[in-house]
Amino acid sequence: MSEIKVHSSEYRPPPPDRPPSGTRSPGVWVRQNLFNTWYNSLFTLILVPAIGYVVYRAIRFVLVTARWEIVEVNLTNLMVGTFPRSELWRPWAAVAILALVIGLGLGVTARANVEAARIRGIELTTSWQQNARRAAPALLLVAALVTFVRTATPLILLAATVVLAVAGYLVGRRIPPHRRRWMHLAVITGLLGSYVVVTQFDGVSLDRWGGLMLTVFLAIGGIAMAFPVGVLIALGRRSTLPAIRLVSVVYIELIRGMPLIALLFMGWLILPFMLPVGFPTPGRTWRVVIILLLFTAAYVAEIVRGGLQSIPRGQYEAAQALGLPPWKTMRLIILPQALRNVIPAMVGQFISLFKDTSLVLIVGLTDLLAVARRVTQQPEFLGQGLHAETLLFVSFIYWVGSYWMSRESQRLETRLGLGER
Amino acid sequence: MNTGQRTNGTDTRPPPWRDVRVLRITVQVAFLAGVAALLWLLANNLVQNMQAQGMRTDFGFLGQAAGFPLAGADFSSRDSIWAALVVGLRNTLVVSAWGIVLATVLGVFVGIARLSSNWLVRKCAAAYVEALRNIPLIVFLLFLYLAILQQLPRINDAIDGGGFVFSNRGLYAPWFDVDDDSGLFLGFCAVAIVLSIVVVRWRTRRFNATGQPHHRIVWGAVTFGVVVGVAWLALGQPVSVTLPVLDGRTVSGGYELTVEHGALLLGLVLYMAAFVAEIVRGSILAVPKGQAEAANALGLSGAQRYRHVVLPQALRIAIPPAGNEFINLAKNSALGIAIAFPELLRVTRIAIGQGQPAPQLIGIMMLMYLAISLTLSLIVNVLNRRLGLRGV
Amino acid sequence: MRRRTLLLPVLIPPILMLAACTGGDDGGADDPGLPDDDLVEDIDAGPADDDENATDETPTDGTLAQVRSRGVLNCGINGQVPGFGFVTPEGTYEGFDVEFCQVVAAAVLGDADAVEYIELTAEARLTALQAREIDVLIRNTTWTALRDGAENVSFATTTFYDGQGMMVRTDDGFSSIADMQDTVVCTLSGTTTELNLESAFSAHGVDYEPLTFEDNDTLREAFLTDRCDGWTSDKSQLAAFKAEWPTDEGGPDALVVLDETMSKEPLSPATLDGDVEWFDTVNWAVIATIQAWEFGIDSTNVDEFLAVDPEENPDVARFLGIDDFNPGLGLDADFAVDILQQVGNYQEIYERTVGPDTALGLEPELNNLWTEGGLLYAPPYR
Repeated sequence: MSEIKVHSSEYRPPPPDRPPSGTRSPGVWVRQNLFNTWYNSLFTLILVPAIGYVVYRAIRFVLVTARWEIVEVNLTNLMVGTFPRSELWRPWAAVAILALVIGLGLGVTARANVEAARIRGIELTTSWQQNARRAAPALLLVAALVTFVRTATPLILLAATVVLAVAGYLVGRRIPPHRRRWMHLAVITGLLGSYVVVTQFDGVSLDRWGGLMLTVFLAIGGIAMAFPVGVLIALGRRSTLPAIRLVSVVYIELIRGMPLIALLFMGWLILPFMLPVGFPTPGRTWRVVIILLLFTAAYVAEIVRGGLQSIPRGQYEAAQALGLPPWKTMRLIILPQALRNVIPAMVGQFISLFKDTSLVLIVGLTDLLAVARRVTQQPEFLGQGLHAETLLFVSFIYWVGSYWMSRESQRLETRLGLGER
Repeated sequence: MNTGQRTNGTDTRPPPWRDVRVLRITVQVAFLAGVAALLWLLANNLVQNMQAQGMRTDFGFLGQAAGFPLAGADFSSRDSIWAALVVGLRNTLVVSAWGIVLATVLGVFVGIARLSSNWLVRKCAAAYVEALRNIPLIVFLLFLYLAILQQLPRINDAIDGGGFVFSNRGLYAPWFDVDDDSGLFLGFCAVAIVLSIVVVRWRTRRFNATGQPHHRIVWGAVTFGVVVGVAWLALGQPVSVTLPVLDGRTVSGGYELTVEHGALLLGLVLYMAAFVAEIVRGSILAVPKGQAEAANALGLSGAQRYRHVVLPQALRIAIPPAGNEFINLAKNSALGIAIAFPELLRVTRIAIGQGQPAPQLIGIMMLMYLAISLTLSLIVNVLNRRLGLRGV
Repeated sequence: MRRRTLLLPVLIPPILMLAACTGGDDGGADDPGLPDDDLVEDIDAGPADDDENATDETPTDGTLAQVRSRGVLNCGINGQVPGFGFVTPEGTYEGFDVEFCQVVAAAVLGDADAVEYIELTAEARLTALQAREIDVLIRNTTWTALRDGAENVSFATTTFYDGQGMMVRTDDGFSSIADMQDTVVCTLSGTTTELNLESAFSAHGVDYEPLTFEDNDTLREAFLTDRCDGWTSDKSQLAAFKAEWPTDEGGPDALVVLDETMSKEPLSPATLDGDVEWFDTVNWAVIATIQAWEFGIDSTNVDEFLAVDPEENPDVARFLGIDDFNPGLGLDADFAVDILQQVGNYQEIYERTVGPDTALGLEPELNNLWTEGGLLYAPPYR
């Protein structure tokens, strides 16, 4: 089985050659790109009306025939599910904290990039078009959400969140390099704070979360907890001790051989029985998180193993020559390089987990998809065939999230110079 | 290091607590013991909890009558629970096998289309891949089932013609009707396949030896046709074709592809084809450019270049990652549970819902999925060893 | 400099992990236990309630003590049946079963709102009970011998007497199951209806194709698009779905529930075997709603009844705890008052959620007092 574990990112092809643009007239371009051979002409002639029809129908559906009231009325449901409405300030506070932290992080990274480039003698300039193109998916999503909002409060809060993010960015850009290590602490505090503000202080238990909020929590919580476990298993798989290697391999193969949905069933129906008699059963959501963690860890382990294998032997030997003990070699020399190499693959795994969280519908959690399914059964919308509207809305959220992340990860890959070594 | 002892030459071994070999064994034994203890603890808890709840801990229930019906299968509620699980497994295997074949075909087409010299084709293929890859499969399946297939013509307005009946209950197609001799006939079919393979190999060898046109496909097809035809006539036409007949609100005869089955298959094929297409595209791009240029220099046409030079090499590169996607497809077939298709996971869940013990049933189900995944990866490994690039 | 730049993205995953792990610990500690505030509240409330020191007990003790120390009742419900349990656009649960969760919460905790609703599918409901994920299951669950026996569940007084029926389209002209040769029948998997369906059709010698669904949402959609000819379920549920049938599809009149009743379906609250104290508590909370109806006490007049003279009307006085009669059920003497003030009696609950004046329009029939020809009969409270 080991031979076939080649991560797809290794197959990402080099960017296709682009002909120099702007030097030819549109007529030449059309002839060269659409009518260069007889069969290409045929394809073009068939495709143009077909695409025209599909695009016309799609636009007509989205703007004219679709009945978006169901999304408008249930927007809060889709965002937070059955979360108590009197406590809605908590998720908003969490979003505000996250916005601040993300802004801060982006600001610091941006400044660091500029400084790093300057040291290498390059003036780093990013045009606003470039930035706009990068942010376009996120802006699109926000715009779509805004069109569904019917009251002023969410708009004001959203605007405040954006202001906070921008403020964080500006502050982040001002932080001098020697203070930068405090940033990590700020990010940890921010993430923790956003969780604490929702659940603690008479907050709302995890089992009452729902909608997009739950989806995002499951994805971030799952990957974040799976990461350390996955690294450990990867190290175990590369261990020189056969027993540890064996156990790691068996674990990875077992998990990867089963559908996530089957594992979720196990967590749902059997996990409670595996705890000592009388031990309180963890809530449903935590059980799902545990399963997502166990599942993702196996995949993370394979990714990290790939990263570890990419480190040349010379690095180990050099560390040994310096007299570093094995665990220090790992911690200081090998892991930092290996983990850097697998960032894009990790983002890929995160995307896949983000999509996979939709499976929790089957085990009765009310995530984004579950809410979308349910709202079509409300008396005022029942039997009107509104699945297209709700499912398209949900798909759009998933799509923007995944597409955006995969774009960013490709950018990161290029910037890290992976695949060029 | 403690070199003092070594100088007198009597004892070169370090004490056990510093001996790497001893330490290694100790650590491994301790680790294995820890893992075993954890597993034992979990299993023991499970058994104890089950006993405390009065649940049975044996597997005797598998022989009991199921009591529940299953859609679209030759399964009655008096059959055993084990038989129900086998029906589920069979459905999973059938949908996965067809899914793999069809997703490969579609994926290869889309992958090639992504590299077309026609800008429009390229962009359409890219849009298809990007649109599907970035949404969850379950969302796509539900969309397909609820928003598209269920909105097809209802049974009262079913489309009936050309031997097909088509409505939102399913697709009914002409199919074979078998009688008692069909087992023997199937045996002859198998013989025919073996024979035609032998013939094809013979033609290939001959071609390699003499360079004469081989026509191996024609030879093989004729061999198969002759053997099957003779057997069919000799056995008194054991297999005939039946057409589906629409009578009011019911359809009889023909092959029934229920809308749930169709939705799962279609969803899996369309979705996984997007992933296969990316692999195909990557693999084609990974074939060194010189190969295509050399083919050009030899005067091969565009299609010939693909058929004889680029694709065979791309195939070898594509086998391992495509194998992963096939395994994913088989695992993803479990999502049939969301659209009422009785595959393995769903049958398991129905049985649990009827009061059968969950731990045993889920254990059996997981072993079955594991067996499917491992078998698939074995096949892929064998293929890779036989066709794949050496030393990759 | 460059190294540090690259380190930031590298460090984000471990940071996330740290954050989440710590978060996880918080949640883990929070889940079985309680936020401190609640604990303090409970200590305060303990002596006042005159209850045996709830805070001293370990969680392995009876469910009643656990519920009291938790301060919240975990109630397993159905979220997909109009009239019985469903989610409103405001994100709250409503319905007949939901109100009985409130009845139990009012009786045990004195607060009808102290309920954590846990939506369960048909397959998961008993497992959730066995795993102690829920304290009580009030989710249109039929009382059967198998569930009572092998599945280790105890059923309290039936809240709703139901029977399995078959719903078809009026246009199709089926008048009984015997007519339904070669039809497709939809039902929910993991239910008793799934089993009864098989016996009902084979009793008539009629061939049919079963199509079982995981949830009512998908089932209803399939029936709506004419994927199946018949839909079999408890008659109350069928009535609920019939009442909400969209006007585009002809409204409720487009459907008809056949007269045949395929089975008896007494829907009852369920608790786990082996905890008699908790079972009694749930049982008597339900009985109290029936008893109150017999007495004619409801949420509007309970305060007047509180002024009743124990000499004149000793039964009512005992029931409302006016004379501190305590039968040792583990409930406060005035638990019935909490139920009535905060929720109401059986009749009120019924009429509010599923009765003739609601969209469901269910006539009480069996779900009437025994004096009115129904089956509701409360054992004496003395």
